[in-house]
Amino acid sequence: MNLDDIKDILNLVREHELAEFEYERDGLKLRIKKAGQEVVYAAPPVMAAAPVAPPSAVPAAAAASPTAIEPTGVDLAVIKAPLVGTFYSSAEPGARAFANVGDVVKKDQVLCIIEAMKLMNEIKSDCDGEVSAVYVKNGQAVQFGERLFAIKLS
Amino acid sequence: MTAFSTLPQDLQRALDGARERLGSFAELRYADTIGSTNDAATELALAGAPEGTSVLADQQTAGRGRRGRTWSSPPGAGLYLSVILRGENLASTPGLVTLGAGVAAADAVLAATGLPVRLKWPNDLVMGDAWKKLGGILCEAQGRDALVLGIGINVMSSAHPPDVAARATAIETELGRAIDRPSLVVECLSALRALAGALRSPDPSALLQRWRDRAADGWRGAVVRWQDDNIEVSGVARDVDDDGALIVERDGRRERVIAGEVLWQRRP
Repeated sequence: MNLDDIKDILNLVREHELAEFEYERDGLKLRIKKAGQEVVYAAPPVMAAAPVAPPSAVPAAAAASPTAIEPTGVDLAVIKAPLVGTFYSSAEPGARAFANVGDVVKKDQVLCIIEAMKLMNEIKSDCDGEVSAVYVKNGQAVQFGERLFAIKLS
Repeated sequence: MTAFSTLPQDLQRALDGARERLGSFAELRYADTIGSTNDAATELALAGAPEGTSVLADQQTAGRGRRGRTWSSPPGAGLYLSVILRGENLASTPGLVTLGAGVAAADAVLAATGLPVRLKWPNDLVMGDAWKKLGGILCEAQGRDALVLGIGINVMSSAHPPDVAARATAIETELGRAIDRPSLVVECLSALRALAGALRSPDPSALLQRWRDRAADGWRGAVVRWQDDNIEVSGVARDVDDDGALIVERDGRRERVIAGEVLWQRRP
């Protein structure tokens, strides 16, 4: 990525009135955030190739393409996969899911487990709020940066 | 918080004698009976305990395996040890951590008892042509910079339930004699310290070569089955790659497997 690419991204962010934009690839991380704006989190477009859940359960602010973001008046945090692996919604088969849509969760509460090569990673919420979407199914393979949950901030 | 007791005398002596070799990995907490050593080590990790801090128990009442499975841990029958590793990026190299943990456990068993234990991907300890399970490892990431590595090794045959006797074994069953347990504990801690060093080295590929050297005979070419997006698929095991993933040939193509568990179907 060169300076022109960054300028293009900045123009796109302006054009689509995005509050925040995040891009990560090959060790490069770019984060753009508009000052004084209500923060709406969205999935980075490079990750949009990953399969996503049907839109029925997905609030508009968290739709797959950043161009689809509409101001909703609510703050949403999207929890993304910090590593590649298998998504587990519960501690063990048959147990209740850590987080279902409608559940009120606290910061640092476990939302799911991602397993890679027998290393178990508990993924925790980084905010207090209500789970408004679960994008992946138990046992599903997830990619780095893939959306897992949307949390409506409280 | 878990209540710990003083170390048994023979273990204390063995630790004292190896203090220099173990460094921070001599920081061992002990309990006769505990729920789960991994849970106790996690408590310590979350409270800020440094790398090398470990928990050993004679018995676990809620010993855990992968995905909520029970790890049979009757009193006096096995080694139940969990240790804390620290580092910013440990969880981003899961294969190196888990395969490396297997190598460390196998090194320790060999050094303390002479038993040439082998590894089944990713990190089960197995013995003989039948690949009978001698031990297992449960790695759990805790936050951004801590890992808890739990090792369970069957020392006596009473460690495993009788109904898995056809698939499980124990160190003393294999050797036909009693072993010096404190030295097994010390060798585990020493090997885990070496693992922590290897994970920090700029080129950890030597770790994977050591895994290949210790892999159970017949693993290359064996048929494996695993869950891929909730669908069971199968292929033929060929190698492990630089990240520790299992390379499997499936429908004429090479594929990386990073599942937590694969089922090995071997010819008798």
